[in-house]
Amino acid sequence: MSFHTSCFLFIFLVAQFHTRVSCDVVDLNVLNVGDSPAAVHAAVFKPALGWSSSLSLLLSSFPEDLEISEYCSDLLHIFGQRYVSYVNCLVPAARPVKVCQNCFSSYGSLIDIYRNISDEVGPGNVSCSISLLHSDRLMVVYLLYHNLEDLWTKSGCEHCVTEGFLALTNDTLYFMTILNQTHSCFEKYHQGNHSELCTNCKDTYRQLNELFSRMEKNLTLCIDIEDAINSTRKMWSKTFNCSLPREETVPVIAVSSFMLFLPIIFYLSSFLHSEQKKRKLIHPKRAKSYTSLMNIQDKQN
Amino acid sequence: MANITKKVSWSSRPDESGAIGEGTPLLNGSEQQRHGRQTSEGGSLFQIGRLSTVDLEEEIVSDEDSVRGRPKEIPHNEKLLSLKFESLDYDNIENQLFLEEERRMSHMSFRCLEISRWVVCGLIGFLTGLIACFIDIVVEQLAGIKYQVVKENIEKFTEVGGLSISLLLWAALNSAIVMLGAIIVAFFEPIAAGSGIPQIKCYLNGVKIPRVVRLKTLVVKVCGVICSVVGGLAVGKEGPMIHSGAVVAAGVSQGRSTSLKRDFKIFEYFRRDTEKRDFVSAGAAAGVSAAFGAPVGGVLFSLEEGASFWNQMLTWRIFFASMISTFTLNFFLSIYHNNPGDLSNPGLINFGRFQTDSEAYYLYEIPLFIAMGAIGGLLGALFNILNYWLTIFRIRYVHRPCLQVMEAMLVAAVTATVSFTMIYFSNDCQPLSPDNTEEYPLQLFCADGEYNAMATAFFNTPERSVRSLFHNQPGSYNPLTLGLFTLTYFFLACWTYGLAVSAGVFIPSLLIGAAWGRLFGILLAAITTTGSIWAVPGKYALIGAAAQLGGIVRMTLSLTVIVVEATGNVTYGLPIMLVLMTAKIVGDYFVEGLYDIHIKLQSVPFLHWEAPATSHWLTAREVMSSPVTCLNRIEKVGTIVDTLSNTSTNHNGFPVVVQVSGIDEPARLCGLILRSQLIVLLKHKVFVELARSRLTHRKLQLKDFRDAYPRFPPIQSIHVSQDERECMMDLTEFMNPTPYTVPQETSLPRVFKLFRALGLRHLVVVDDENNVIGLVTRKDLARYHMGKHGLEELQLAQT
Repeated sequence: MSFHTSCFLFIFLVAQFHTRVSCDVVDLNVLNVGDSPAAVHAAVFKPALGWSSSLSLLLSSFPEDLEISEYCSDLLHIFGQRYVSYVNCLVPAARPVKVCQNCFSSYGSLIDIYRNISDEVGPGNVSCSISLLHSDRLMVVYLLYHNLEDLWTKSGCEHCVTEGFLALTNDTLYFMTILNQTHSCFEKYHQGNHSELCTNCKDTYRQLNELFSRMEKNLTLCIDIEDAINSTRKMWSKTFNCSLPREETVPVIAVSSFMLFLPIIFYLSSFLHSEQKKRKLIHPKRAKSYTSLMNIQDKQN
Repeated sequence: MANITKKVSWSSRPDESGAIGEGTPLLNGSEQQRHGRQTSEGGSLFQIGRLSTVDLEEEIVSDEDSVRGRPKEIPHNEKLLSLKFESLDYDNIENQLFLEEERRMSHMSFRCLEISRWVVCGLIGFLTGLIACFIDIVVEQLAGIKYQVVKENIEKFTEVGGLSISLLLWAALNSAIVMLGAIIVAFFEPIAAGSGIPQIKCYLNGVKIPRVVRLKTLVVKVCGVICSVVGGLAVGKEGPMIHSGAVVAAGVSQGRSTSLKRDFKIFEYFRRDTEKRDFVSAGAAAGVSAAFGAPVGGVLFSLEEGASFWNQMLTWRIFFASMISTFTLNFFLSIYHNNPGDLSNPGLINFGRFQTDSEAYYLYEIPLFIAMGAIGGLLGALFNILNYWLTIFRIRYVHRPCLQVMEAMLVAAVTATVSFTMIYFSNDCQPLSPDNTEEYPLQLFCADGEYNAMATAFFNTPERSVRSLFHNQPGSYNPLTLGLFTLTYFFLACWTYGLAVSAGVFIPSLLIGAAWGRLFGILLAAITTTGSIWAVPGKYALIGAAAQLGGIVRMTLSLTVIVVEATGNVTYGLPIMLVLMTAKIVGDYFVEGLYDIHIKLQSVPFLHWEAPATSHWLTAREVMSSPVTCLNRIEKVGTIVDTLSNTSTNHNGFPVVVQVSGIDEPARLCGLILRSQLIVLLKHKVFVELARSRLTHRKLQLKDFRDAYPRFPPIQSIHVSQDERECMMDLTEFMNPTPYTVPQETSLPRVFKLFRALGLRHLVVVDDENNVIGLVTRKDLARYHMGKHGLEELQLAQT
């Protein structure tokens, strides 16, 4: 707890000084950081170091408990590299979406290093998870990693990648083959008459769709597959106009007008043939005959 | 005609009475049997009441009756009161048996009674929740199968052609299922038709509707509602749920089933109308609460409909029943949804949660909401007027059961046809997305990966459609789809309500309202380009739904609370209240609420909150029925049997009178006895002579009366030998010795208030010497109502 607090304070101070120095106005007295001894100490101590030095230099000159170990900084470094490579892979794969197919291996290595940081205890029983992940309010490493983890979950890539991020699943590969077949079929016929395309590619297209719905049921879909099928369907329906036409308007109208006609017959016939229900009126016994409306009104007027 | 004239002349000339009376077939002449014994007394009694006006009146009476003398037959209309309805005996009969029983009961047994009341309420809630759960699951499963079959068929035929076959399949499936539901309703239990809310309203008002709370009705109702919802009619299952709750209550509280001939020998104390009616109000509340997940709404519904008999403990018990019912439903549904223990998803109709920020509302939207309320009132009034004419037509011409079944089948087929046609010609295609909740997306001619938006509204159970209208993200429907949907569904729902199937009107109204409300929201967003707050059509769908529902059923307090509870967002209370108020005001300007219309059309003697205005000039003397069939305190058995078995009358209460002095003196009122009591007495042969001869004869107890309740045998089934006819019966310890009486000058509103507030069945009108001169019953009061031309009077009719 105390470690956490002081560390937090420290970062705050660094930030404060940094702004002030960069403005070339160092007014220590203005600084009001409370009465923590560590803070006072830092405030007096730091400007002497010179602000051209790197942050790591600054870090190294701090008391023991604030510093991170060699091992941890190495891990941090590797994390950075793998992070960059994963992001570098992701961006070009954004459209059309190929984030699972192209980048699963780099995600796997990113996960590995993050696990190293968070779980394992390195040489000298140093745990980097606290110092790297949870030492400050911002928790940069944690945040960065979680963004990508979210992305991964949202994409559903784990459904298309085997355990251990070694390869794509067989289903996915098979889907991609069929997809390529479909696309090459589209390629072949897309010149000229689209109706030709519609009839010729119908089989592979249908196969693709069936495969997709099967995978949908098994919950083995990832964003790559969804996107591929979406764009293929769009091509099929919008570009090549192979959607089913509305052809049976006449029979549908005929049948429905027949149905709509039935109630009219029913009501007419029951009106004409059914005996109207009559009610027998009963005259209540009254002391005086004020039973009719006429009398009521007479009395009212 | 001649008979009437004679009869009238008799009433002023007592001496001739006996002879002439025999042949009179009309109700008026039904009193003759008693005159054998009571000739002079009855006649003179009668004369006293009208002595001052005899001469003058005589001619008027004769004239009038000669005009209206022959048994007149008129087509059914709303201005009738049916003879078949009776009042409940809410008033306690404090006769000697009752006093004895009360004396015998210890303090402890009163405690036990109180506890068993709570137990009964808990059971009511539990069973009602179970029934709701059963209906919900069965409907979901069966509807799932149906839609799956039709969907596969449509998909198949979209490709190869022949969609008209799918249309026929859909229509045939719907008709077949609805036929099943209509047959059980039309042939086995016609009272189970409709939503059941009007019937329960009448019951809580104090009218005994024949067969309304029987087990058979419950079974038919539950099966019927499943059939009609699965059959794709424009109906909901919420109204029937309320009726079911009421039946459960009436059954459970009696501790036996007359239909199954099983008596569990428990809760015997509750076998009378007073207790039963209290439990029925708890049952209705439990039904509402299960249907909408609105426990408080349920309690308020019961209060709103039966509030004149209300006390704090009863309300608290009703609330208990409601809560139990909601949470029984939740519990079992959570097991069904593989999520046991989750109690937070209540109600058969689940509006979903309205809790996101985008569904907040601001002050400037209030006028818009009020405007929507006005639209709802107008549309509701239109709905009611159309349904009114349709219902009159149905009562007059479509009254045979087979015709009713055919009509229901036709409606089902046409509903399917119209839905199919709408879907077929709709061009509104929306992309499928994972957070779409469409259960049965239909593609038809949409591009691959898209679905037909019209199908989400039509190709679904109505409840799901309501939910998708409330919660689908902006842009899921285009305005044309919604407009067409509103229009067709409005007419379908209006046509469907009143068929011989058990089905409620809540969901269709909500659906119509949600559709136009959403349309309203979309158009609003289109004309005002600024502000994203306008762009939440779900909110307007909710307000529209409330407005439409309010416009149709015109409930106030309970409906507000039900809607607020169903949305789970209390902050919507204000707009929903305003909307319902506006809808009611606007709608009432044109026509009454749908339930009131149906109550009227069924000729029920329903007592409203107040006597009609401007009726103070009417006095009890004009309101009452007279002359009254009275019995002597010690009466001859033959007379009683004859009085009871006179088919042209169905009197249920008889003032008991005593001869003060000479035979010419008027008889003085000393009590009131009911037909049901007399029948029990005759059945047990409680005759003075027998009691004398057999000293060991067991004394009759209150239990004997309770055992016969509620289906007292008809008088024809009781055999009384010729010898026994000569015996005498002492009514002293059985009659209610202190019936409520009013002087004959009491004004109608005063009589009305007494009657309504105390839940009376008979009110004796006496003169200043406590002589019986007339009897006021429910039908005498209910016949006055405010019409277009001032005060109008309803006529009695046999139905």
